[in-house]
Amino acid sequence: MKSLFKGIVWGLIAVLFFTTNGWGFGRKKVVRVGINAPITGDIPKVGEGTKYAARMWLEDIENAGGIEVGGKKYPVELVIEDNEAKAESAVKANTKMITEDEVLVIVGPQSSKQAVPAGDVANNYETPMITPWSTNPDSTKDRPFVFRGCFLDPFQGPVLANFITEEFGFTKTAVLYDVASDYPKGLAEFFKQSWEKIHGPGSVVAYESFTTKDTDFSSQLSKINKSGAQVLFTPQYYNEVALIVQQAHELGWTGPIVGSDSWGSAETVTLCGKDCYGLFFSSHYAAAGAQGATKEFIERYEKKYGYTPDDVAALTWDSLRLVQTAIENSGKLTGKIKKDRRAVRDALAKIKNFKGITGDMTFTEEGDPIKCAVIVRISDKGEYEFYKSVCPN
Amino acid sequence: MDNQDPKFQLSTKGSRARLLDFVAPIPLIGWLLGILAAVLVEYFLGDYISYYLGLPKIPVLFGFLTVLKKPLLIPGTMGYMILVYGLPILIIVKSLQKPANKLAAFLDKRRVTVAALVHLALFYGALHLWADISDYRLLVIKLAMIAIMLTLSINVINGYMGEFSCSHPGFMALGAYTASTITLFFFANDKLFGEALLPEALGFYFFPLALIAGGIVAAIGALVIAIPSFRTRGDYLAIISLAFLFIVKSLIENLEFVGGPRGMSSQPDYSNLPMVFTVMVLCIWIINNFVRSTMGKALNAIRDNELAAEAMTVNTRKTKIITFMFAAFWAGVAGGLFAHVLRYVNPGSFGIQRLAEILAMVYFGGLNSVTGSIVGALSINILSEALRPLEIYKWIIIPLLLIVVMLVRPTGLIAFTEFKPKELMKPKQNKVEV
Amino acid sequence: MDLFLQNIVNGLQWGSFYALIALGYSMVYSILMLFNFAHGDVFMVGSYIGFGVATALLGLAAMSGIPLPGWFILILTIIFTMFITSFVGVFIERVGYRPLRDAPRASAAITGLMIGIILETGNLAILGARRLSFPQLIESTTYQFGGVYVTDKKILIVGVSLGLMFLLHRFIQKSKWGMAMRAMSFDFQAVPLMGISINRIAPLTFAIGSALAAAAGILYGLAYPVLDPYMGILLGWKAFVAAILGGRGSILGAALAGFLLGFIEIFVAWVFPSTLRDVIAYSIILLILTFRPHGFFGQAHSTQLRL
Repeated sequence: MKSLFKGIVWGLIAVLFFTTNGWGFGRKKVVRVGINAPITGDIPKVGEGTKYAARMWLEDIENAGGIEVGGKKYPVELVIEDNEAKAESAVKANTKMITEDEVLVIVGPQSSKQAVPAGDVANNYETPMITPWSTNPDSTKDRPFVFRGCFLDPFQGPVLANFITEEFGFTKTAVLYDVASDYPKGLAEFFKQSWEKIHGPGSVVAYESFTTKDTDFSSQLSKINKSGAQVLFTPQYYNEVALIVQQAHELGWTGPIVGSDSWGSAETVTLCGKDCYGLFFSSHYAAAGAQGATKEFIERYEKKYGYTPDDVAALTWDSLRLVQTAIENSGKLTGKIKKDRRAVRDALAKIKNFKGITGDMTFTEEGDPIKCAVIVRISDKGEYEFYKSVCPN
Repeated sequence: MDNQDPKFQLSTKGSRARLLDFVAPIPLIGWLLGILAAVLVEYFLGDYISYYLGLPKIPVLFGFLTVLKKPLLIPGTMGYMILVYGLPILIIVKSLQKPANKLAAFLDKRRVTVAALVHLALFYGALHLWADISDYRLLVIKLAMIAIMLTLSINVINGYMGEFSCSHPGFMALGAYTASTITLFFFANDKLFGEALLPEALGFYFFPLALIAGGIVAAIGALVIAIPSFRTRGDYLAIISLAFLFIVKSLIENLEFVGGPRGMSSQPDYSNLPMVFTVMVLCIWIINNFVRSTMGKALNAIRDNELAAEAMTVNTRKTKIITFMFAAFWAGVAGGLFAHVLRYVNPGSFGIQRLAEILAMVYFGGLNSVTGSIVGALSINILSEALRPLEIYKWIIIPLLLIVVMLVRPTGLIAFTEFKPKELMKPKQNKVEV
Repeated sequence: MDLFLQNIVNGLQWGSFYALIALGYSMVYSILMLFNFAHGDVFMVGSYIGFGVATALLGLAAMSGIPLPGWFILILTIIFTMFITSFVGVFIERVGYRPLRDAPRASAAITGLMIGIILETGNLAILGARRLSFPQLIESTTYQFGGVYVTDKKILIVGVSLGLMFLLHRFIQKSKWGMAMRAMSFDFQAVPLMGISINRIAPLTFAIGSALAAAAGILYGLAYPVLDPYMGILLGWKAFVAAILGGRGSILGAALAGFLLGFIEIFVAWVFPSTLRDVIAYSIILLILTFRPHGFFGQAHSTQLRL
């Protein structure tokens, strides 16, 4: 027993000896920014875009020697957590980042099914959070600490309905959407509403759905083909877009197909090929023919990671820049994390006409930005061309 | 770990035997006291100790999270573990060995319930303080306890009755949605159901009723599987339950009044630690009694040979129905708690992924064993949280570990054992003296 | 009427994937009484290997300057991929199933599930998050018969899968190995005593099942050219449903049930509102099993789990 005790004592002394050099890096004043992204799970590409954009942003900050608040420069640390594209994992990740890593701000999660519950956590702990990509109104509703980086479905739906009516003069449309995923379902509903407001009830001649992870839409598309619809609206993610468009053409569909901002990934065209040329979708920004800061961002991203950034990356970048502006505007970092978070939140809410690469932004009371949508045409070279811009009035 | 028979230790005096010698005379209550002491140390001194050792914060899940990201902190974290957990537990356990044994002997003469309550109270005290240090810890431990309930309840079907049921996420979804609907409808102002009908202050006391309602709905859902199970079993039942899972998920997606694929959010915060803990203890207690009852033995009989069981006057139909409904009930209750811990449910949370997780927990822990289920659920849950810094490789390491365990112990870590609280709580020293 | 015929064509294509994958489940089951839950992911791996082989062949053809026709490359791809993927099956058998042959059946199911997760995550870790687009080896032309649209891809897919099923049938019925497999599935205990080693039959079964899954993977890549690491999960579980629905261990039953499942999914989406597709389609399956508790071709005996 004695030897055991001795061993413990010596072990302790050894441990203390080894860790004395640890005192230095124990508790330094750093600004920690949390990233909550789906790195594994259903939508790894979204997580990858988020991660890359965040790393690029960190590089900028490091080159500038840190973030400047009240005349002092603070180093920045990114805390990237994987939420496995699951709701409870996103909640765990947020709780961990807030209580353990003591992050000042959180960017993410991206999709609504994680952003809604994670936003609740952030709001309860009074930690500002920006979800760059979640279009569900619930994410920010009654949550003063939660903000959003993109426009909402109730805005995008009418934009598209009006665009199709004005551009083509069609009166009958078909909708194909994923019933098990909240984003496509919400958007499909808003689109249907505004379409019927313009053309009267019954003008949506086919309203078909499928379930997440389905790859065969032949039954639904055959039905749509026979319904007499002039245009097909499908607010799906890029991987499904390729399948839907190709299968529609194989089943004899000749009319135009219109999509939403979820088409705006670099992979849409690589996966879909020639079938997608000439189609329209609404988006946050158009990569081809972009100007100024947007162009610069795209070129840098392409050089670094080898592909054109999708809207997730662009929105994450904007959200991080918003966060940066807010931290810089917050006046002073006291080191008391609660106070600092509140200051950053207030600064974030006050930002007016922020010049982002996805357009100008001003937050409403709810924390949602007032932003313009862009109608993009996929050119015959497979590039995303700017076609038209629609702003909320 | 502590109910080793003293006979085995005397043969050799290796370090293992010496360890057993050291551990053997300590009753469960002694360990609990030691843990309580350690947690008290952490609660009051943890911050200073971690600061002195150069750690950024108190290592929240035994240091895994920080160590995997910054290997430089390994010695500091180890030192922390020894100082805060190792030493206090050892000192208290050894110095209180005699009084603890006396206490255990005293409790041993009382009713099991009383003894169990004392043990549980001590354990809860330690757990509460431990979880109080960090909210992240609290969340992890709450979800782990819910996982224990799920694993236990599926063990009743898959382990004790020997079916391969895949419908547990479906039961859980039924329970989660029912409980959420009730609490949101009556006690919360939200956009789905409008104003609260009853005063919000009452909500917490009615919450158990909501949980029970959730459990009952899940149990009724289980009839869909229980009735075909009269005529078929094994693999056919597996796909009946799988079809049930697909149907439940798809139905909820189509029900607009519970939010469809958007799910329901902002449930009131009723699932606090005492609530989850109490429900979990009740669940373990009742399930343990169930599987040790005549009914439980009948289950094993059905598993081993249904025809023979029938011949021995086991009413197989009644047994199957009751078992399915019983297991589904607890899955539903666990679902209700789950919804109120996350304060959000959506149909996507109850799919194939969740099924794989539950199956992994029950088969990892061990079939036909309450202890096994607890160990399986806890270890997989805590592990998947502790390995978070590994990001993508986490989902290579955990399955590898599971495969290795299955190859070494094909029935799971701790299978085919009985969980006897009375044995566990027995004094350890008196036995040797007598 | 047009729609009806069109949906028959659609159902044939969709069902052939279920059927090909279900065959793999069913074969392993008939020999070992075990389900290979990694099978859906073997399908995924097969699809990725097919992608690699096809890209390599296209690259070779371009480099050497020999204008190889698309169909020729496709045939080569199918053969090579089936060959390579069969080793994945053998590997899974060796690592996950052979050590557990006497263990409870569910343990092997769990190792299978875990191997599947490793395959998925490993793929994600190695190839990254981007989805791959399967090279279009044959130009797709659409033919129109009345109001029915048929592409040559559809004909090819259905043709190749039916051909493979026929070959499998011949193999099992006529060849020596096939006979050994049938014997093994007839009596697991006695046949090893007759000098047929289970350690040779089981890997063979896994190899054939995986090769079929690989063929399904390539055909799938032609029809739905978006590959991602998680594509095998749902398809695998649904094919599992088909395999059992056909009757345990019945090859013919599995193939038929695969087509049936495809038809049910397609036709339910046509006749009913497509939002309710899963509810109705799986209720039908529930009903079938309630009235035919042992599938289509299964024997009506209550087997015991080997616990």
